[in-house]
Amino acid sequence: METKLDEKDKLELLKDILFPDDREAVQDISKRIQLLEHLVNDQKLLAAKVDPLVDDKLNTFTKNIPNTLGPTITATLKKEIKNHKDDVVDALYPVLGKMVKKYVAQEIKILSDKIDNQLGFIKRFKRKMRSWFGGPTEEQLLMRELASATIEQVLLIERDTGILKASYSVTNTIDEEMISGMLTAIKGFVEDAFHQKNQKLEQIQYELYNIHLQSFVTHYVAVVISGNYHLKSKNKLQDIIFNFYYNFMALNLDLVFKSKDPEKAGKEVRTIEKELLEKELAASFGNAKI
Amino acid sequence: MQKSKKVVILGHFGVGKTSLIRRFVTDQFSDKYKVTIGVHITKKVVTLPTDDTISLILWDLEGTDALEEIRDAYLLGTHGIVFVFDVSRPSTFQHLNSDLKIVAKKVPERPLLVVGNKKDLVPEEELTQLLENHQISYNYLTSAKTGDTVEDVFMELATLLNSDA
Ligand SMILES: Nc1nc2c(ncn2[C@@H]2O[C@H](COP(=O)(O)OP(=O)(O)O)[C@@H](O)[C@H]2O)c(=O)[nH]1
Ligand SMILES: [Mg+2]
Repeated sequence: METKLDEKDKLELLKDILFPDDREAVQDISKRIQLLEHLVNDQKLLAAKVDPLVDDKLNTFTKNIPNTLGPTITATLKKEIKNHKDDVVDALYPVLGKMVKKYVAQEIKILSDKIDNQLGFIKRFKRKMRSWFGGPTEEQLLMRELASATIEQVLLIERDTGILKASYSVTNTIDEEMISGMLTAIKGFVEDAFHQKNQKLEQIQYELYNIHLQSFVTHYVAVVISGNYHLKSKNKLQDIIFNFYYNFMALNLDLVFKSKDPEKAGKEVRTIEKELLEKELAASFGNAKI
Repeated sequence: MQKSKKVVILGHFGVGKTSLIRRFVTDQFSDKYKVTIGVHITKKVVTLPTDDTISLILWDLEGTDALEEIRDAYLLGTHGIVFVFDVSRPSTFQHLNSDLKIVAKKVPERPLLVVGNKKDLVPEEELTQLLENHQISYNYLTSAKTGDTVEDVFMELATLLNSDA
């Protein structure tokens, strides 16, 4: 017996594939909007609107919230979102990014699994060849190939200025502030030269290192990686970055807001914020396996 | 935590931008990383008389003879500017005022210092006369070769940027 999917089922199925995080994401978004609303909208302003009503008839009001305050909130939110588009985008980006990424990653995984299957035999053969010719032993080569990527350094950088906001590093080597400027210059050059405003430079190879760049609206995250950096590692890394940025946004909305304000751009991050951020960075990236 | 500011050094080719930075930033970063993207970045931590410290991240742009052609990306978010001309070559300051207008348009309302470099090449009396004739107003005259007044330029800019919040 054969059961056929009707259109509606197909749609549901497609939805499931595309947006497995749908409900969670919607909750995230609405939480995020609440937070934004709270921040953008002066609390007093809201109180002024709400207080008289509250004094009047609190009970009816509570009952009628959806009808009475709903439209006001919706209208205010709409306005605020319109006026602070970048901030909203910045707040939502990690959430949306995760959703889209998951879908794309699935597709790519299927593809790369196929390729891996086909290439596995050639790789094995090459390894054998090399070890025949007196190079490292087959085991050594295999180990090397399997050696996973290691996160060496993470930099949270303001996008326009290239100013370093916080960092995490395993070994302190070169000046981080200067590296941040350099990366920003390179990024600016590439994105400018190829007129790819909407396509961000994502990876730089420098000697033995791979540098992964994840751009958000006001900031970007640069991760310096040693070892084998493949798609799998990249996927894991992106998840970590999105998660970090998501937490970072929740904790530090004012940091983002500050840097959007031309008057205050580049203003020093309060010590507590920086410490918090660096703690968060260390927690997110410190023991991460990619 | 200490403040960091992005400072861009502008001016015609060969006026001594790189030399000024090299003179100011003694602990030079190795040239090994020199990126072929037309910009060189160095850093200097300045301690002000008030004991505040501030990091100047210096962007040295190369081949910027045509100011209009500077990549916008390099100027984004600039906190302060040093505009350098060469006192021994009038072609580098003949159009100073229109050059400065272009700069002000690209980077509005940021502290800017105008510096005439290579003062060691022109006798002092001759120099003031020359600049007066061309109606050039500047903030400092320097020599990257002898080091004369170089520190002052960056100190003043650091002070301006420090009070700039
Ligand atoms: N005599 C003299 N020569 C200088 C001075 N500053 C720079 N130079 C020379 O001018 C040339 C161009 O300098 P450079 O710093 O590369 O100029 P840039 O193109 O503006 O970066 C070099 O040969 C320097 O040695 C100075 O103050 N006095
Ligand atoms: Mg130069």
